[in-house]
Amino acid sequence: MTYSRSMDCYEFYDRAKKGEKMTQDDWDLMTIPMKSMELKQKYGIDFKNQFVPTDKDMMGNLFKAGFEMLLECGIYCTDTKRIVKYTEDEIWNAINNVQKKFVLGTGRDSVTVKKRKVGSKRKPIVQGGPTGSPISEEMFMPVHMSYALEKEVDTIVNGVMMTVRGKPPIPKSPYEILAAKTETRLIKQAAAMAGRPGMGI
Amino acid sequence: MISSDSHEVSQLNELKIDLDAISVIAHYNGNSDIIMDEQMPIFGGYAGGVEETAIVDIATHINAFVMSNASWHLDGPVHIRWGSTNTRETLMIAGWTCATISEFTDMLSGNQYYPCAGPCTEMCLLEASAQSMTDTASGREILSGVAAAKGVVQDKTTGMEARMMGEVARATAGMDIGEVNKIIDGVVKLYENDYAKAPQGKTFQECYDVKTITPTDEYVSVYDGARKKLEELGLVF
Repeated sequence: MTYSRSMDCYEFYDRAKKGEKMTQDDWDLMTIPMKSMELKQKYGIDFKNQFVPTDKDMMGNLFKAGFEMLLECGIYCTDTKRIVKYTEDEIWNAINNVQKKFVLGTGRDSVTVKKRKVGSKRKPIVQGGPTGSPISEEMFMPVHMSYALEKEVDTIVNGVMMTVRGKPPIPKSPYEILAAKTETRLIKQAAAMAGRPGMGI
Repeated sequence: MISSDSHEVSQLNELKIDLDAISVIAHYNGNSDIIMDEQMPIFGGYAGGVEETAIVDIATHINAFVMSNASWHLDGPVHIRWGSTNTRETLMIAGWTCATISEFTDMLSGNQYYPCAGPCTEMCLLEASAQSMTDTASGREILSGVAAAKGVVQDKTTGMEARMMGEVARATAGMDIGEVNKIIDGVVKLYENDYAKAPQGKTFQECYDVKTITPTDEYVSVYDGARKKLEELGLVF
């Protein structure tokens, strides 16, 4: 069915307020396992112990199964306990209009993220960093600088600062905001001290 | 942060979201920010097996662009027992999902690294290498890591693990897929029986001269050892 307008967060919110009701347990323990098992059987999906696939027909079946999983199940909103469904056209509209490339960072330190393919000869972008690992306040800048100093690293992914001004960044406290702001500033400073002030984070 | 930094919003396991995240997306859209939609599907979790988890991973990738208007999706299939992205099963999920997304869409995708072992150990570097090979060969655009020691121990990550991720990616790019699969299998065999007794490694302070941000001779030697093992398996740096 032709969509009336492209899906966005506002439409998602509206649907999350009026979609079909379901308990989270039913979603987690019935909908997800039953549908994924059903689709595996329907499309005969078997990876045959390969890490990187060479069977394009099987990849096609996996894509159909994943698409159908999203189309038939939708997304569960944990706050409203309702299901947000998309139409097939809405999903294709999003797939067909994705950003095909973008730039992370600024100046000579910026990198362009663009499409790769299976077996591509171009090296992927390396986003180096602790990836959410806990980092002490004292070591926060040196740890991130160790990534910015590596030429193999193109952009930085942050760790989590365990204290700020000696206090834990408890959620929904002012310390949480201070920690988030401080993390960003220290990572930018670490990149600058490594001679790469424009690195994306 | 500025618009050209990655602004994160996370989906919940599996195919779930909360309304705070939807409001965050509205904020990012309002600033024309680069949006990184993140989610780590769990092997052995709600979806179950390898293929079932990959089906959910494909759905999650697509949802990143339908719901979150993402610039890119940050993946990270993780093992429910070991908390690692570097197991045989999670590598297969990541490899098949990424190759499929690359083949049938223009979506841009990254993957996160959570090895069992800690810094300054060969196991940690080999775990990161197996995933870097899988990601690079399957068409992944961004490699994000490395959260050594499963990303749960304070100060146990360093730039050296990211160096290995990058060097292995450079060596893998353009390789024959059959050869890549053979080497990954060899690398995984080197560590897959050791998850329960994975070496915890050392902290950043023990791995680096903190004043000069220089890795210790010990870590450089461990790094060379891991690299040599990869070369013996057929990877050409």
